[in-house]
Amino acid sequence: MASENILEIENLYLNFYTYDGIVKALDGVNLSLKNGEVLGLVGETGCGKSVTSLSTLAMVITPGIIESGKIEFSMGKRKVDILNLRERDLLKIRGRNISMIFQEPRAALNPIYTVENQVTEVFLHHRKEELIKASLAELEDAAKKATGLKRSIYKFYISLYKGMLNNPKSLRLRFISKIPILKRFQNRMKKVARKDIVELLKVLRISDPERVVDMYPHELSGGMAQRVVIAMALACNPLLLIADEPTTNLDVTVQAQILQLIRELMKKFKSSILYVTHDLGVVAQVCDRVAVMYAGNVVEMGDVMTFFKKPLHPYAQSLLESIPRPNEEFVSIPGTVPSLVNPPTGCRFHDRCRYTLEICPRVKPKFVEVEKDHYVACHLYR
Amino acid sequence: MGLREYIIRRLLLLIPTMLGVVVLIFAVLQMIPPELRAVIYVTNPRQLQDIPNIVREYGLDRPVWEQFITYLTEVLHGNFGYSVYYRQPVLEGLLRRFPATVEIALLSSPFIIFFGIWLGTTAAVHRDKIPDHVSRVMSIVGTSLPSFLLGIVLIAIFVAQLRLTTVGRVTNIGTLLLRIKNGTYHEFTGFLLIDSLLNGDFLLFVDVVKHLILPMIVLVFIQSATMVRVTRSSMLEALGKTYIVAARAKGLSKKEVIYKHARRNALIPVITISGLLVGGMLGGLIITETVFNFPGVGSYAAQAAQSFDVSVVTAYAMFSAIIFVLANLIVDILYAYIDPRIRLG
Amino acid sequence: MSSKEEVKKSAKTPNLMVKELKFTLKKMRDTPLSLIGLSLVIFFLLICALAPVLAPPKWYDPFRIPSTGTYGREPEPPSAEHLFGTTSYQTDIFYGCIWGTIHAFRLGLVIVITSVVVGLALGLIAGYYGGIVDEILMRFTDIIFAFPSLILIMALVVALQTVTLPFTLTGYTRLDACIIGIVLVGWPGYTRLIRGEVLRVKTEDYVEAAKASGASDLRIIFKHILPNTIYPVIIVASLDFGTIVLLAAALSFLGLGAPGDYADWGQLIYHSMDWVSSGLRYWWTYTFPGLFIMLFCLGWNLLGDAFRDILDPLYRRK
Repeated sequence: MASENILEIENLYLNFYTYDGIVKALDGVNLSLKNGEVLGLVGETGCGKSVTSLSTLAMVITPGIIESGKIEFSMGKRKVDILNLRERDLLKIRGRNISMIFQEPRAALNPIYTVENQVTEVFLHHRKEELIKASLAELEDAAKKATGLKRSIYKFYISLYKGMLNNPKSLRLRFISKIPILKRFQNRMKKVARKDIVELLKVLRISDPERVVDMYPHELSGGMAQRVVIAMALACNPLLLIADEPTTNLDVTVQAQILQLIRELMKKFKSSILYVTHDLGVVAQVCDRVAVMYAGNVVEMGDVMTFFKKPLHPYAQSLLESIPRPNEEFVSIPGTVPSLVNPPTGCRFHDRCRYTLEICPRVKPKFVEVEKDHYVACHLYR
Repeated sequence: MGLREYIIRRLLLLIPTMLGVVVLIFAVLQMIPPELRAVIYVTNPRQLQDIPNIVREYGLDRPVWEQFITYLTEVLHGNFGYSVYYRQPVLEGLLRRFPATVEIALLSSPFIIFFGIWLGTTAAVHRDKIPDHVSRVMSIVGTSLPSFLLGIVLIAIFVAQLRLTTVGRVTNIGTLLLRIKNGTYHEFTGFLLIDSLLNGDFLLFVDVVKHLILPMIVLVFIQSATMVRVTRSSMLEALGKTYIVAARAKGLSKKEVIYKHARRNALIPVITISGLLVGGMLGGLIITETVFNFPGVGSYAAQAAQSFDVSVVTAYAMFSAIIFVLANLIVDILYAYIDPRIRLG
Repeated sequence: MSSKEEVKKSAKTPNLMVKELKFTLKKMRDTPLSLIGLSLVIFFLLICALAPVLAPPKWYDPFRIPSTGTYGREPEPPSAEHLFGTTSYQTDIFYGCIWGTIHAFRLGLVIVITSVVVGLALGLIAGYYGGIVDEILMRFTDIIFAFPSLILIMALVVALQTVTLPFTLTGYTRLDACIIGIVLVGWPGYTRLIRGEVLRVKTEDYVEAAKASGASDLRIIFKHILPNTIYPVIIVASLDFGTIVLLAAALSFLGLGAPGDYADWGQLIYHSMDWVSSGLRYWWTYTFPGLFIMLFCLGWNLLGDAFRDILDPLYRRK
């Protein structure tokens, strides 16, 4: 059933080369995301979930280097090997086939540009042809109705837009785009884009989108900013949406709204979502399947219902036990998250696990399918 | 708050700051005994013979607040006293020498700013690679090398040894002064660069430019160190922000991300520094002018200082400070205009 | 381990401070630039220590350079008798450079320590107590910042010449005036720095905790606030060392600092100006003092930069 997976990560190893030593951030991550589902990627801070999501877009910044592994993304009938793609092709995938939304929405927006400017950016980058064609249609309409000088101007613009379609790199176009007054011909495209953006913001339940579109990021509330970021991510109908803790920094009420919105949008746009979070409650609400990460490894992956009823990995079990319940004592996992410069040998959880076997410090457990669609990396299950 | 309110508020703030500057200079002057201090109120040389009269007339032995009122009034009337060393009213001397300083400062500024921004951006983008190391070396050398030393070495090589140019503003100031006297050269603005062209004297223009090169080299070398450092750290900070990651996730190329997103943001504080840099230079390049014997406002004060000419030195300090405060004001307003977070409140 | 023990352990014990020092030193060893800085500073310290041996003083005031000829005689090139040659007045450049080092350190220490102490005191008060004291201090520092430093110092030096000071550090009014001038222009910088740090630290939990447990203001300031605000001061002070010596040299170069035959690098360069018109012929008159100034500043700048790089992550770790 491999072709059902829109994303497959196999044995991903990633190291950060820092002054303090080599941080072995990802230690053979295995992950699969089915078409049309929401996969929750859970783990504590520092376990590597954000790094994993960035790797999916091949956007890990230096000093991080992907040592080995495979990330396969299915675009319709084609399968793409993300890690071996040329930069040119990656640029076409990012923002269009795979997009990302972030934890701090206002930080994800450039403070000196308006909402319109930043969302238009996505349109101009990936859906330029559509915009040009729509602008052409409008211009031809206007040219028919106009006379004299106005008509000539419209005809001139039409020729420019046609040029953009056929020969975008022509010297003539590049030259005119730099001249202050002449380059206003691009405004038609921006107007068309603006209409699309306003519609998009309406879909995202932003009230008064005409006004919001002209605002700057610092004028937006957290919830509104996050909707704008989601709008940018969904502008091109991506196949895969990576959500990196999108509701962590929002008020609880806003959080609920955004989660519901995401669920609806998912159904509407038919995207798959990789939902990175540390909040098991969110996983229960939104996700179909869940993958648990610890210290650079995915230790358990499976269906959400099954996971919550019967977690297999000791870490996952402790996680679920440590959810505070009323009238019960506070349970925590003993010890602390290990340093990834000198991680524990063998299974990285062995020094905090209550079922440690003799083999655990010696050999790293393999990630195997223990029951149908339920994977664990633990020596207890052989 | 809006831009207009911000500008108004900022302009209002100007008054106490200017007042503070005057108060500080006044305080410095108060350290000097009245007889020696009297020269700051003198307007013509004859009065120098009659100091006790000045002391009485301007109340230099009265209580402090009365003295301050007198001082403030005189300053606002443009009476900055008389220079014993130069034998002229101080204000006249300052204004006469100002164009020379402006020429060096304004001519060097674009080089400093553009070079600094370019190197700083490159260093930040190619962190820990060659451009970064170059920028680091530049910064360190620029802050450790005294400008007078660089000036001396350049003079020794290019003026004395190679005889490519001379110190000063023109090769032969004597002939120029003579020409002004007998009317063959007309001073329109006081800026030699402009006036020489207006007088149709291209040779003079070239001569002036030749004399500006060495001081400019010193200035550009030393000052761009600051520019590079500020641009670099500002760029690094901008590049580390989440919106850069978000922009890349949108599929924008590295170049687009650097120039459209990171640099615009990074340049905002850089503009502030540039403004302060230019303002500081306009206030006087004391050392550079002294080394190159350049007749600007800085060397005017430096020579007077050696002879303990109180009126010149204090008036010059006030002059510099006022220019710097005005530069600050312009920069603040520019900053508020550019950064929408401030513009829209 | 129970939480109480963990909290105790994270408090600053003497052992922990030694550990941090060792960590700092190790970090220094790893950065070549900081090593260069450190070696330069140590080199100059050695010169200070060996000065009486390398260049035995002839006058009562060791900072007066002995001269062997009459005024106006041409500078002599480096020779066995005058290792770095001589400059105007036949003053020995080698002697000037060696004792100039001690002079530089003396200037730096006096000025930096005074500025830091004044800045610390005022900054702590302004930051901790706030209110009108803070406001007044801030306006005052604002005004001083409106002046380019060299220019204000110049005005102060000229003004101070007319005043008779009750004490003297160097024995020369002009030089003393320079020191006072630099301090007067320097303390606002430290005040601002400390005040900013105090404001940042004031709202931290351990200060609230100390207040809640009834600690007196003085105790809080010295035991909690001061140790956590001191790092930027160390960085700025070491960077300042170089800047101050450069400033003092500039003042001497302008003729406002040390007297004619004083062992001051800036003063030596002031003399060399007379001989620059002969081109590279009298190169020793400006090369040697210039090198000393440059390397001294370089050493302290590198050291300060190293401190900044090392102390910054440590600093942020808290």
